[in-house]
Amino acid sequence: MNTAFWYASRATGIVALLLLTAVLVLGILVNRQGRLPGLPRFAVTDVHRNLSLLSVAFIVVHVLTAVLDTYVHIPLISAVIPFASGYERLWLALGAISLDIMLAMIVTSLLRGRLNRILWRAVHLLAYASWPVAFAHSIGSSKDLQQGWMLGLAAGCAVIVVAAVIWRLAHAARQVPRPRRVAAIFSQVTR
Amino acid sequence: MTTVMNQSAPGGAARQAAGLPRLLPAAPEDLRAHLARYGPAPYRNQAGALINDVEASGLTGRGGAAFPVYRKLAAVARAGVRSGHLQGGRTVVVANGAESEPASRKDELLLQLAPNLVLDGLQLTAEAVGAAEVHLYLHRAPGPQILRALAERNARGLDRLAVTITQAPPRFLAGQEAAVVNRLGGGPALPVFQPPRVSERGLGGAPTLVQNVETLAHLALIARYGPRWFRAVGTAAEPGSMLTTIYRPDAKPHIREAALGTPLATLLGAEANVQSWLVGGYHGTWLPMPDAAGLTLDNASLGRFGAAAGAGVLAALPSDRCGLTEAARVTRYLAAESAGQCGPCLNGLPRIAAALAELAAPGHRRQTLADLKRWSGLVEGRGACHHPDGTVRFVRSALTVFEPEIARHARGHCSATNRAPFLPLPDGLPASEEDWT
Repeated sequence: MNTAFWYASRATGIVALLLLTAVLVLGILVNRQGRLPGLPRFAVTDVHRNLSLLSVAFIVVHVLTAVLDTYVHIPLISAVIPFASGYERLWLALGAISLDIMLAMIVTSLLRGRLNRILWRAVHLLAYASWPVAFAHSIGSSKDLQQGWMLGLAAGCAVIVVAAVIWRLAHAARQVPRPRRVAAIFSQVTR
Repeated sequence: MTTVMNQSAPGGAARQAAGLPRLLPAAPEDLRAHLARYGPAPYRNQAGALINDVEASGLTGRGGAAFPVYRKLAAVARAGVRSGHLQGGRTVVVANGAESEPASRKDELLLQLAPNLVLDGLQLTAEAVGAAEVHLYLHRAPGPQILRALAERNARGLDRLAVTITQAPPRFLAGQEAAVVNRLGGGPALPVFQPPRVSERGLGGAPTLVQNVETLAHLALIARYGPRWFRAVGTAAEPGSMLTTIYRPDAKPHIREAALGTPLATLLGAEANVQSWLVGGYHGTWLPMPDAAGLTLDNASLGRFGAAAGAGVLAALPSDRCGLTEAARVTRYLAAESAGQCGPCLNGLPRIAAALAELAAPGHRRQTLADLKRWSGLVEGRGACHHPDGTVRFVRSALTVFEPEIARHARGHCSATNRAPFLPLPDGLPASEEDWT
């Protein structure tokens, strides 16, 4: 029983990292109006949204089990307030920062209908800061991820995210200017 | 080119005369003639006082949406009070004369013949909602009548707020409420996702009322003669009159003010050489003939065929034209007028237009009609504005009404003998960002 919380915290943390990687990649796909095989375009948005909520559920368990584990003392408040924990002060602070950004993104998304879109977008762009901070927290605070096949897993996540960001930038650069978009579709469909 | 048809010139005793036309004098009226007929604008010297009268009158917006005017007035007045401590309760009123529907000419004519009525309505509305700023948004450069009216009113100090004139780009969506506010704010005339609605946060963040110029002219008369006078014509549910732009087979297009509830046959004629009526303009509905011949000009009646009066564009399509060709021409125009902002509209409308063009030509593929119906369902309700919805309404009604013609085309025949285009379309499609400014 003593170690159950510790194991649970490690496991949920790693799953959360995988989920967040998927959420970020799907977010880029939504932004570029890409598709997943066999799914209509709006479903990509739904998968993105649902996975992001699922990853928060994993993060909640990850935090609670870490707090409940009695081996080291981590105050609950350090989940959202950076530098509130004596244990792994820097790495847990990074976890808190990335969680705070995620919460801000979720709250603004839930209120999206009532918010100005520029504000929503500005907050949502912070995802590009949140993921690297969460990644640093994972690598820094987890001995698991620093060696062996788990290191490979973490590196794989990083490669996927970097590739997705590069794809997004390249895709944005090739974007058809808005006034010419209708003409471009017309030339496609009347060919 | 466009002519007015007045049943009778409005008499001097306008108070008693419930008869039509109410808005359109026979010739342009300068300020002297306007004051002689109506007297000065009846300010109430109290914000909000007019709103109850407008509510009792049952006036709805004449720009196309037929939204109850008092509700917009009340919403903006309330938002102005609520934001009062932040921005001094400043609201904005915009007289919308963009008339971006290419087949509609009624606002243009109203502004030529009775500019002072519109300007009275603008000032009275501004008082009612506590506005600090008023705008006049026009389809083209202001004509001499409107400039003269403004100068004359200015010289006599009649207007409490100075009117700023802005010209709309010649785009179909330029008159959409949010597009109007964007344009007045110096940006492109493009719709945006709402909320926040412009009645809450519009021009410069101030609660903004955007009202069609004809609506304001009606309002100026309601302020003078009261709601009972306004209700003397029209139906109980949809009182008053509206300006219509009428296209008939053998006549020049003309503008006519008609009471709500007027039989469409009175306006469009009952000629046998007509195959369908188009009601409500290019976001409107094709009506089957003779099934729809008994309908009247009000949304309760038109609604039975899924139609609405819109901004009052009425057309009777002659039997010698191909309805599918007309529908395809208009749909291509509507697709090209997509702002290109929302995926379903951007991707859907050009496909729908291309498919309809295929149906308009002889020998189309069987799959095309099925695609067209499926795509129509996919774009509906998925835009920041109602452009996809209106376009789909137009296309669907064409598919229903011209179904026999589709079958003929499939066999390689077309029943049309006259290839000349019937419905008016502007030329010049948008190609750069400047086309929206």
